[in-house]
Formats: sequence, C-alpha cells, structure tokens
Amino acid sequence: MTKNVEVLTRLHGDVSVIDIRGDVTPLAGPPVEEAYAGVSAAGAKKILFVFAPDCYINSGGIAVLIGVLSQTRKKGQSVRITGLTPHFQKIFAMVGLTKYAHISPSEQAAIGELKTGT
Amino acid sequence: MSASGKYELHVRSMHGAEKVAMDFAAEIARRMNFPADRVEDLKTAVAEACMNAIEHGNKLDATTRVGIRLVVDKDKLQIAVQDQGGGIAKPRTPDIESRMEGKTDPRGWGIYLIENLMDEVTFESTAEGGVVKMIIYLEKQE
Repeated sequence: MTKNVEVLTRLHGDVSVIDIRGDVTPLAGPPVEEAYAGVSAAGAKKILFVFAPDCYINSGGIAVLIGVLSQTRKKGQSVRITGLTPHFQKIFAMVGLTKYAHISPSEQAAIGELKTGT
Repeated sequence: MSASGKYELHVRSMHGAEKVAMDFAAEIARRMNFPADRVEDLKTAVAEACMNAIEHGNKLDATTRVGIRLVVDKDKLQIAVQDQGGGIAKPRTPDIESRMEGKTDPRGWGIYLIENLMDEVTFESTAEGGVVKMIIYLEKQE
C-alpha cells in the first residue's frame, strides 16, 4: 500500500539538491530531516527539493516540509521546489508553502534561479 | 457506468489503508468521467478523511475499521467516511505563519484541505462513530 520514501542528496555547483521519491507522509520526517541536516551541516546556502512525479504527499508530509522550511528560513537559506504535479503545486499554494519556497517549472530553471538569486 | 450506484469499502485502521480508499474512490470518479484534476482533488480529500478516521477516530487501533461509502449520482459523487470512534473536532483554520515560526504544531491541514477541495463537506457524530460526508460535482461549484 505505502511506498517507502527515498531521499538522496547531491551537489549541483553550490546548490544542494535533495531528491525525494515515494510517499511523503509523517514517516518521511526522519529521512527528509536527516538529508536537510546533512546539507546544512555542509554549509548549504541554496537548497533545491526535487520531487519525483509519482510522489504521494499527504497533510502529514506537508507538516514535515513546513518543519524543514521553518529551519531554512531561520538559517537564511534560499530554497526552491520542483517536480511537483499540478495538483500538488495547487496544494502547496493552498496551504501557503509557496510563500516560503518558490516552485520552479524544472530543475534546470530552479538551479538557474538559485544561482542568480532571482 | 450507470447514472447511479452505491459502493462500499472497509479498511483496517492502519497507515497506508487510506491509499486503498483513495484509489477506490478515484476509479469510480474516472468511470463517471470526472476531469483528471477533480479526480486528484477527490483522492487527496478521501485520503485525508480516512487518515483522520484512522488516527483520530479509531486511534490507530488495527482491530477497528473505517467505512467508505460512495453514492454515484448523475451530476455528483457523494462520499461518506466513517470511523468507529468519536470523529474529529474541527480545528481552527490553520495558519502557516505560526507554524513556520514554530508557535503551533505544523500538522493539522487535513480538514482544511478537504474543505477546500470538495464542493460540500459536513461532519457528523453518530452512535456508530464520526462521519465525514463530502460531495464533489462533475461541474465544480464556485
């Protein structure tokens, strides 16, 4: 029924990319927070969350992301999100998450925005 | 699919069961020719209602069940999600800013999403347990 979440990190220049696939539910909390803590500890100033197109995200998963974005805000890190389906883009806007992390149309666009600070 | 019909599904109160209910409801909506974006709205609403029933109504007691009843009408789909507990008290509209500041629990978006995605929503408490009743129309109601 549930697909385990898989969270991986990689570097694209000075942008720390956090790839998320699977079910983003409360169970995604530890791996997502661990990935974020890892890139933060490495000094990340620019962070990109890339969601796989088949991600299932529920309200518990949204709470996990709010917790992480709360920390990025405190640390003054620039954040972009990409890969979300139109439905989850709507959900993120509905809860207000897009006030704190811009949703970019593609990974390439997001990295460009983070590099130029736009 | 015929112009009317009734469907019922019961799932165990455990994490992940909400996805079974979600897919079940989505399949019926697709057969009714709901637009793809409305099917996605329905999936999220049904999953959130089931999760509330599993976590809050039935307290994650795997011996209990959540009932999902769907009634197909010509222009709408009615969904009732029933737990075996006391349902869930409707929280105040969540505030993202206070959550971002860590002043309130970041959770608690389920009912907010249901109310924003469905055309009609009611919460009832019955002798059998709490029930969330939702209606989604083929043509979105503004």
